[in-house]
Parts: sequence; C-alpha cells; structure tokens
Amino acid sequence: MANVNITINGQKLQAESGKTVLEVARANSIDIPVLCYHPALSPQGSCRLCLVEVEKQRALQPACTFPISEGMVVQTESEKVQASRKFVLELLFSERLHYCMYCPMSGGEALTECELQAQAYRHGLTNWKYAPNTSKRWPVDASRKYFLMDHSRCILCRRCIRACDEIVANHTLGVRDRGTRTMIIADGDVPFGESSCVSCGTCLQVCPTGALIDRRSAYMGLQTEVERTKSTCMACPVGCGIEAATRSNQLLRVEGDWDAHNGGLLCVDGRFAVVEPPTDRITVPMMRRDGELVKASWDEAATAIAQRLQSTGPAAGLASPRLPSESLSAFRRFFREVLGSDEVGLLYGELPPVDVGPFATLPELSAADGILLVGGAPLRDQKVVGYTIKRAVDQGTTLIVVNDTPTDLDPYATKSLKVADLAQATTALAPSERLVVVYAPGLAPEVYASLRNLPAKTRFLPLIQGTNTAGAARVGLTVRAVQGAGLFVMAGDDATDGRSLPAAEFTVVQAAYRSAWTEAADVVLPSRTWSERSGHIVNIEGRELPVVAFLEAPKGIKTDAATLDLLADRVVRPMREAAR
Amino acid sequence: MAEKVTVASDWLCGCAGCHMSLLDIDERIVDLVQLATLTSTPITDLKHPSKDGVVVGILEGGVNNSANEEVAKTMRERSKILIALGDCAVFGGIPTMRNFAGMDEALRRAYVETESTVDGQVPHHEDIAVMQECRPLDQVVPVDIYLPGCPPSADAIWFVLSELLAGRMPELKGKYLDWH
Repeated sequence: MANVNITINGQKLQAESGKTVLEVARANSIDIPVLCYHPALSPQGSCRLCLVEVEKQRALQPACTFPISEGMVVQTESEKVQASRKFVLELLFSERLHYCMYCPMSGGEALTECELQAQAYRHGLTNWKYAPNTSKRWPVDASRKYFLMDHSRCILCRRCIRACDEIVANHTLGVRDRGTRTMIIADGDVPFGESSCVSCGTCLQVCPTGALIDRRSAYMGLQTEVERTKSTCMACPVGCGIEAATRSNQLLRVEGDWDAHNGGLLCVDGRFAVVEPPTDRITVPMMRRDGELVKASWDEAATAIAQRLQSTGPAAGLASPRLPSESLSAFRRFFREVLGSDEVGLLYGELPPVDVGPFATLPELSAADGILLVGGAPLRDQKVVGYTIKRAVDQGTTLIVVNDTPTDLDPYATKSLKVADLAQATTALAPSERLVVVYAPGLAPEVYASLRNLPAKTRFLPLIQGTNTAGAARVGLTVRAVQGAGLFVMAGDDATDGRSLPAAEFTVVQAAYRSAWTEAADVVLPSRTWSERSGHIVNIEGRELPVVAFLEAPKGIKTDAATLDLLADRVVRPMREAAR
Repeated sequence: MAEKVTVASDWLCGCAGCHMSLLDIDERIVDLVQLATLTSTPITDLKHPSKDGVVVGILEGGVNNSANEEVAKTMRERSKILIALGDCAVFGGIPTMRNFAGMDEALRRAYVETESTVDGQVPHHEDIAVMQECRPLDQVVPVDIYLPGCPPSADAIWFVLSELLAGRMPELKGKYLDWH
C-alpha cells in the first residue's frame, strides 16, 4: 500500500492510501466529532457531524467516508466547520423529541452515556434553536423482552441496521419512508418482538442515544457509577469476551468486549438471560434430619460427608462442565488422592475429537473463504459461531453444510449434502485458501478420519457441548457412567434440565440453586455461581480463557477449593488419628 | 456608588426547584446584593416586577396556561435581559409530558377520574386561567439567556449572574451546562 502525504490543520501526516480522513485524524489524535460512525461498522456518512473543510472541494466533506489523496489539505476546526457542526446538532435536535429529562442515558457532561448529548455539551448548546414538536410522541416499541426502542430518541444514524447486517448478519432491520417520515423498522415493518430479530443486542450496544434501551438496567447507574469487569461468558463453549457492568454487587448488564475474539458480538443467552438468574439460591449447608433438609454448619456437614463417603463404600463423583478448570481439577484430585477413586465424570457434555487438526479462531472463521459445516446446529447451540458463519457467507465465503437432517444454515449454503457425500464437499472446497471446518461430536469415526486428511492449512472448530467440557477433558474428566455407594455431585450453578442422577445410598449435592437434585440429596452444600468465581475455561478455539469474578458471593459460601479442602481434611483426619 | 442592577424573578409552570437552587448560592447572596437589587421574586415580599422595569428578569417554569402566558409577557416587557431558568423554561420540562395525552384527556384524568374525586368537573370560569399546551418560554416571548438544568446548579446560576453583573454575556460550558 502506497503512503500518501496529507496535511490536517497544518500538520503534515503520512498514511496508507485508501484510508479515510477520519481514520488518519484518529490515528494522530486529532479529534473529529462523529455520531453515525462506529469503528466496528462500515462508515456511512449520514449524520454529517464529521464534515471538514477539504481544499479544492466545492463543499464540506464527511471525514468518515472521504478517502485521502496525495497533497490533500484538511481543516477540521475552521469557523466554517464549527458553524456546520453546530447547525447539524441543532437540526438533529429539531427532529423527533430528544428530551433529556427523562432519558436513562442522560447525565452531566462527565456522566452522560448519550453521544448526542455529549456532542451538544461539547458545542455549548444551551437550548433548542429550532424547536421540535413537543406535543408529538413518537412510537415506543416494547415488544422485545429485553430491550425496547423509543423512536423519539432515534437520530437515524443507522448504526443498528449496520450492526444487524455486518456483525450479526441477521438482516432484520431496515428503514421505511423518506425525509421526516423515515423510520427504523424490523422485517416488513412488524413489531420487533414478532420479527426475525434474535435479541443478540448488538444494535443496543452500538446505539449512540437512548433510542435502544436495555430494560433491566435502565436508570440503574451511569458510566462512572458502575464498575466494569472483563470476563468470559459461560453460557456456551464459545466463551465470548464480555464486560459485566455491576453496581452495589448487582449485575446490571452484560456487554460484548470489542477486543475479544467475538469482536463485541454476543447472543441472547450470554447478554440477557444471565442477568436474571434463578431465585432459589442456596446459601447454607443443609442435612437431612427426619426426612427434611435442615440448615447445618459447614463443620457438621463436612464431617457427615466424610464419614458417609468412607463408610458406604467406593464413592463416585459427577461435576458440571460449567465449572472452571481449576475447580474440575481439584474435584478430580480430591477423588483420586483423598478417596482413592477413579469413578469421576462429567454430568453432561459432548466433545468431538480435538486432534483432527489445528484449531481455528473466530476471526479466522470470519475471514475464511470456505467453510465446511459437518453435523451440529451452531445457530442454536453456539450462536456466535452461527452468526459468524452467516457473516462470512455475506462476504462471499462458500459454505457447504453436511448433515443428514435439514439445518437452519441450509438457506445460506452453496450446497447441502448428506454425511455419506462428505467427499463431494471436501472436493468442492479444495480450492479454498483459508478453509475452516466446523464439526460436531457424535459423527462416525470415518468422518473424523476424512477430516484429518484435509490439507495442512485447514483449520478446525469443534462444536463442543458444555461450557468447559474441553477443559474438563484436559484434567481427565469426561462424560461416563459412574457407579458408587456414595455420590458427590458438584453441580455449581447448573440446571438439572430434567437429567437424573445415578442411584446411590448417600448423595451429596453442591449447588447454587435448589432443584430436584438438591431436594433428593442427603447433604446439600452451597456453591458459588459463575459470576462469583475466578478461573479458566477452554473454549472451542482450544484457548484458555480467564473467567473473572465480578460479584461477591453471599457470606458463608466457600469456594470450590475451600470446600474440597475442608472435605479432604475431614476424610484424612480420622485416618491420621487411626494411624497414631 | 454605581447604581445597583435591578433583578426580578417569577415562576410559571415550575416546581420552584430552580429558585431553591438559586438560594443554594448560600453566602454568595451577600456579594450579589452588593451589586444587585432583588426587586421582586415569588419568595420575597414583592411578587411582581414594577412598571418601571428591571435590568435582569428571570423566569422559571414553562408556559402551560393563559396565566403563565400573561406573567411571561409582563416579565419580558419589563426586563432588558430575560433569563430562562431551568429545563422547564428552556425546553418545556417534565410538564410537557402532559401534551402526549392531549388536553381533553389530561383535564379529564386530573379533575374527573382521580380516584378520590366524586362528581368531578373540569373547571371553566372567566376568572380561572385557560389550559394550554405546555411549551418552552421562547415559544411565547424572546429569551436572551438560556440556563438549562433540572435544576441548574447553584454554581451555574451564580456564574450567569456574576458574569452579567460584570457586564459580560455568560457562555455556559463544562460543568455549568447540564440538561439533566
């Protein structure tokens, strides 16, 4: 790429040809105000706030879309530019009803979360120069469960449309009508809640104003009043990077981390469903007395567990794949070193062979020129993978789906083939420079053998089931039938999902929430939830990702390590005493 | 001694919060009255600006009925410089939410349908102000200085007054500008 010489505000700069004036300005700490521009989206030039003076151009030009050329001279702070910015803002405020007073995004200059308000403060606007119609309220669409749209606050920047098209590839949003009647709509102008919207919330994250509002966290705290913690989502093994916004030890909302492998993209499970966990939290150990579960001390419970696990005979253990690798490893060690047992496994999970070839990363999947999907249902089970595949297809990638039953990615595939015709698929994709194979567990060994024979530059993404099933495998825990007179279940914050436990004479369940399992257990121990635990998981890219606790657990709920240490101590103590 | 600058204030469809914020200038009021005379305000003995006029007129609250309109026009006539104090005067404020329901429905809800009212009637009398659409002050009279905020901070109010008393038109920026 040739280097181009341009001048901005008298400063001589060099940049790659093909860049826009805005990109060069930002790279050199020259601030040009923007509204419709967003670094994760293609530039549009619709808000006109970034207009700058470019010598020899007839009119002011939008910096976000104007490509640089050799010898270009740009002024970003001339009187003409400043007057234009003020005018653009005054016009934006004259349309619809931008009423700061009762908007959750509104705040003082340091606190505001509304980019429109921030620009108004910056340009010293004290009032509406052209009064809007203060009698007309534009529609509010509250048909989606987790977030609503208030059209009064929309500035038609179309960031939402671009996000829905370019990041999620769902293509739900668009516009209807023209001029002052322009409206953002879903599908053929149906309520958002009845549209093809998948509630991924990407539009919500990019909306500059209070047009799109998260219902749960509205009015609960502005930027400087909340703490933000980067962590990893535990809803599925994609392990998207998240930023959790918390206040007073409550989770307000979850946002996608733009810098992580998912590029800010999340799904409804990781962004919204997690903010309202089940309510029947277990906070103290409980033991069964006269058929009823009653509160017990940690000491009583641990001693009883140690006694019974030893006296009933060989013990078995089952752990949830939602636990971080550290907890799973400690669980394994407790059984092997303290109880002398190898009867441990995972409650559920599916792991395809992970040695078929080098792992792909999500960005590599997005940049692939060929994608082979063998089995699985990523749009349902690993949604961000599904969205990434659709996004790649939008950009021209060839997708071939190999599955014996129809999948929801078939409409986007160049070909849909049965598993028996896998060879046809691999042949068709042979010309790919950057082939990524996304493959499911439970396929015949011949299928995995064929995948292993693909060219060395092929990359692979296993469609694992169970958040940390891969991490569990690395510490020797897999899904298998276990049998023991005593059963210790480390369920964490997992749900039973209708699964039943193997029968045992004595059952201990460590869980965060009450369930059919805890109600049938002999001893129940409280557990931390994913938001209260730190550790690591291994995701579908084969990478170890950090899970960082962003909430404090209720008092008295021990960490997994502390729980196992206590149990180990109670088991070992009588042995020590007997040995004296 | 230089003649003191005469100042008058009044309120329209407001909650008086902006006047409370004005009082929050605390001991700075001692400095204020060295340079200015507070001639009439809703919270002092004299309530209405004198026919001789004042230099600085301050109005809190939006225009919501014919009485507000009259007070606004009177203050405008009798002030050289008119300040719109607070979000209600500048933007119309919270009371403008009434407009979304429409006049008839709003009046019915207030005077007839309220839970503790029996045999309610929407009042009409020649002595009573006529309800209007709630709107910002500058839709009724020209305004010289806009001081938004709900309420504007005492520091912002003090800034505007002290700038005026120093002979300058105040430029609101940074922490003084808050449309919250």
